[in-house]
Amino acid sequence: MSNQTDTQTKIVGKPVPRKEGRAKVTGAARYIDDLRMDGMLYGATVRSAVPRGRIREIKFGAGLPWDEFVVVTAADIPGENCVALILLDQPYLVAKFINHAEEPILLLAHADKHLLEKARRAVTFDVEPLSPIFTLEESLAKKEIIWGEDNIFKSYQVNKGNVDEVWAQADFIIEGEYRTGAQEQLYIEPNGVIAVANADAGVTVWGSMQCPYYVHKALLKLFALPEEKIRVIQTETGGGFGGKEEYPSMIAGHAALLSWKAGGRPVKIIYDRAEDMVATTKRHPSRTRHRTAVNKDGKLLGMEIEFVIDGGAYATLSSVVLSRGTIHAAGPYNCPNVRINAHAVATNVPPHGAFRGFGAPQSIFALERHLDKVAQVVGLSPAEFRRRNFIHEGETTATGQVIREPVDMEGLLARAFELTDYQAKRERFARANEGRSLKRGIGFASFMHGAGFTGSGEVYLQSIVGAEAGADGRVRLLAASTEIGQGTNTIFAQIAADALQIDFDLIEVAQPDTSNVPNSGPTVASRTTMIVGKLVESAALGLKQTLQNSGLLKANYTTDDWRAACRRHVEQFGLLKSFSQYKPPPGINWDEGKYQGDAYGAYAWAVYVAEVTVDMLTYEARVEDFVALQEVGKVVHPVLAAGQIEGGVAQAIGFTLYENVVWSEGRMLNNQMTNYIIPTSADIPPIRVYFEEQPYAYGPAGAKGIGELPMDGGAPAILNAIEHATGVAFNHVPLLPEALMQALNQTA
Amino acid sequence: MNPFTYKRATDEADAVREVANGKNAKFLGGGTNLVDLMKMGVETPDELVDINRLALKRIEQTPQGLRIGALASNSEVANHRLVREQFPVLSEAILAGASPQLRNMATVGGNLLQRTRCYYFMDTSFPCNKRVPGSGCSAIPGFNRIHAILGASDKCIAVHPSDMCVALAALDAIVRVAGPAGARQIPLVDFHRLPGDTPQIETNLRPDELIVAVDLPNSPFARRSRYLKIRDRAQYAFALVSVAAALDVQQGRINAARLALGGVAHKPWRALDAEKVLTGARADAQTFRAAAEAALKGAQPQQHNAFKVELARRAIVRLLTEVAHETKGGAA
Repeated sequence: MSNQTDTQTKIVGKPVPRKEGRAKVTGAARYIDDLRMDGMLYGATVRSAVPRGRIREIKFGAGLPWDEFVVVTAADIPGENCVALILLDQPYLVAKFINHAEEPILLLAHADKHLLEKARRAVTFDVEPLSPIFTLEESLAKKEIIWGEDNIFKSYQVNKGNVDEVWAQADFIIEGEYRTGAQEQLYIEPNGVIAVANADAGVTVWGSMQCPYYVHKALLKLFALPEEKIRVIQTETGGGFGGKEEYPSMIAGHAALLSWKAGGRPVKIIYDRAEDMVATTKRHPSRTRHRTAVNKDGKLLGMEIEFVIDGGAYATLSSVVLSRGTIHAAGPYNCPNVRINAHAVATNVPPHGAFRGFGAPQSIFALERHLDKVAQVVGLSPAEFRRRNFIHEGETTATGQVIREPVDMEGLLARAFELTDYQAKRERFARANEGRSLKRGIGFASFMHGAGFTGSGEVYLQSIVGAEAGADGRVRLLAASTEIGQGTNTIFAQIAADALQIDFDLIEVAQPDTSNVPNSGPTVASRTTMIVGKLVESAALGLKQTLQNSGLLKANYTTDDWRAACRRHVEQFGLLKSFSQYKPPPGINWDEGKYQGDAYGAYAWAVYVAEVTVDMLTYEARVEDFVALQEVGKVVHPVLAAGQIEGGVAQAIGFTLYENVVWSEGRMLNNQMTNYIIPTSADIPPIRVYFEEQPYAYGPAGAKGIGELPMDGGAPAILNAIEHATGVAFNHVPLLPEALMQALNQTA
Repeated sequence: MNPFTYKRATDEADAVREVANGKNAKFLGGGTNLVDLMKMGVETPDELVDINRLALKRIEQTPQGLRIGALASNSEVANHRLVREQFPVLSEAILAGASPQLRNMATVGGNLLQRTRCYYFMDTSFPCNKRVPGSGCSAIPGFNRIHAILGASDKCIAVHPSDMCVALAALDAIVRVAGPAGARQIPLVDFHRLPGDTPQIETNLRPDELIVAVDLPNSPFARRSRYLKIRDRAQYAFALVSVAAALDVQQGRINAARLALGGVAHKPWRALDAEKVLTGARADAQTFRAAAEAALKGAQPQQHNAFKVELARRAIVRLLTEVAHETKGGAA
């Protein structure tokens, strides 16, 4: 029932039920492996066992009916053999040179899954081995040149002031080196697609993915077909965390190539967990070196930072991961002189890729560990040192971006300390730990995270969102942004409902299908709510404006008035449609060449506090309490927003204390959920989430992006707390009990 | 998964006959380990004989102790009043493993026959002497953080994954089996084998023998028994090191002691040398440290698991200290 009051009720900020929640909890939601098509074949990928080499011969083992199989090699590719993303260096199938273990070489399809698996194991390759390199040190040292002329995918240099001049004036110069390991996204649903492809009808792919238009772009090149002949449809997706940003282009291409060769029979490829873990992307391992100049008052004079990430065998997204990591490397601090040298380098391991945080968790880990060390050298507490250096409105970041909005890091710090009783615990634990085998510690990290694509990225994307209203007044939002469990559909509907002042239930979100929705850009980079949500708002407002301009809708109206106006519009003019395209907020300038300027439209600001215990007998470290406090502009949906933070912190705890990718000859050895240890609910403390709201002028209802933010602060906060507990500085993650044992035994 | 035939056994004799006559046949209990391994191509039986309808679920008091049917679920055993009162280490050990869902399905007999979680055994793309005898061990030159530090051979360094069996080893449990040649009893400590040259043979159970029950004898120490498991996370992980300890302490002196370790060897590792140190000694820190030293005396770590030797010593001291304190309190 509608009346005058519902036009005044804001839905943004309320925990409305999720749009797709009912379908998910009743089992009605259809994931890719729930779908079957007539005549469907199953596809499998035969991969390289070696990290680097040249294929001499492909051998098909005896005893299998090979004529029943669809077999695809690089020679069968109708268009170009490259996964179109940023560069065109990664092949869909190895033609000759293998560059990493588990690299796809040959594809098989058959109606019988079990026979298919036998066949997959029966294909072997005679390979002339070439010398591989596995570490970023080996890559930097050019032990072998495996990519381009120098193994370097991308380098950036950021310069602010003149860091060379500060060393002479510094009272203290503090150096440190920090490392982070690879991390598996471990989305709930592994990668999977179904493809139908033939020369007449073109290529259609259904699958689990974050970015339908990335897949679309890649298939265009792979099949050399016109745009309208490629169609990509996202099915219900069980999580992504970045892991389904670029890889779906690969698996979609593989399934489509098999279907193409099979004359258009549908082909389904679903990775099992072991294949997904061993073959697809992970978080980039990193090494960060800091050299910091500070005066005796504890003011930062200069920061020189070298940030290197291991990109694996192909460029994929490494250049942009490096970019985000670089820009976040100097943190929310006001430092007059900064130089950051950053490199993404090649190694013979499967390409590393997008994972929540996208380079920032790596460089922020280094900085927030390093600043605790700097504080100690200067003789200040970690908190006091940061207080003296926090950035404020009107001051500039490392890229020279002037902060134009009120930022209150001191306020966040004070509130986070109050919520955790930080000061008292800091002193009490230090006293009580003496002689105890169970040592307690508390530590924090302060940081920021930019929302949206870096620099001119959003301008380049030119995202578009559509909205259409039918005669019944129902509004359908058209966007390529995907619901992957994080709440896209609910949040878009909330924003549109408030923009139109109509019932939330009248809003629906179209299934992302490239034949039906415009390209609103990828579902990545904490951009969906802030950037795409704003486009949803203006597309929705476009509907209203059309109705009001044509006199069908008064200035003040009820949901019933809205329905009536839509009905009349459809009768007179047909379906009501509105589109909105991204325009950068005024005054945003970015110089890609100098890497200077406004790197992001907005930042979320945060202070995270972790409390730990370290068992000195068994060396088990455990997070006992965690407070995540952040300023996010506006909370659109309190339950979903808190869920984002809790999930991100849990992932960060895994990154810090549990998740260890074990490599052997460039291959992940522990690609099983029994030996790749992620924390369970029993390992995660209560995560106490608090928001502050300082509305951002260009976000929908003032909202800023928060998807990646919670991944950033956990690792340094926890290791700062472990240093407080044990007195030993650990500067790498994951930090496993045996590393604790080794270091603590040495100091004991 | 390999195609296989399935048969449901009507009684013990039928089950034994079926497996004895079948070609590469296996008993199917809870399926929590076997079916996973079949999906991964590690186990490839041609026939499964489902024993779940056999009357082997009972847990009953006998004059000598407690008899647990082989098909009792791990949950039923762990939560059984008599087990909790009389053999607490067994309840604690079972609850330290797997998840509630798995424990509801997994059986006692199946737990005894759990296969190792060695990465290389579980991944058919690697050579493994246990999976394909003579093919070589990938763990010795590979990543061996979770592997054996005691009793390994140059053919295999895998460890037994069970928590339950570590407790059973400390409790002097006896495994009752039925086979074509009749019934027999195997002490738990002799049930599992060290790898030697034949790591593919993991137990002294013959392939056509069926486990029907486990007997827990009454003892002066069983009621004062505890389990400590150290692992990579709080739940749902196999032991890096685990310890089952039972002590009979009178006036500060240890009359009888049982100590077994998990996660360190190809079988649940009964630490007999440590028990000798403990028996007759004062229940104090010095004794416990000496026992821990004795238990790990022959330890030979691999490249990546030297930490487990010290971790095991520390776990032993901690658990013995806790059990001794309990005993004092309880006896007062």
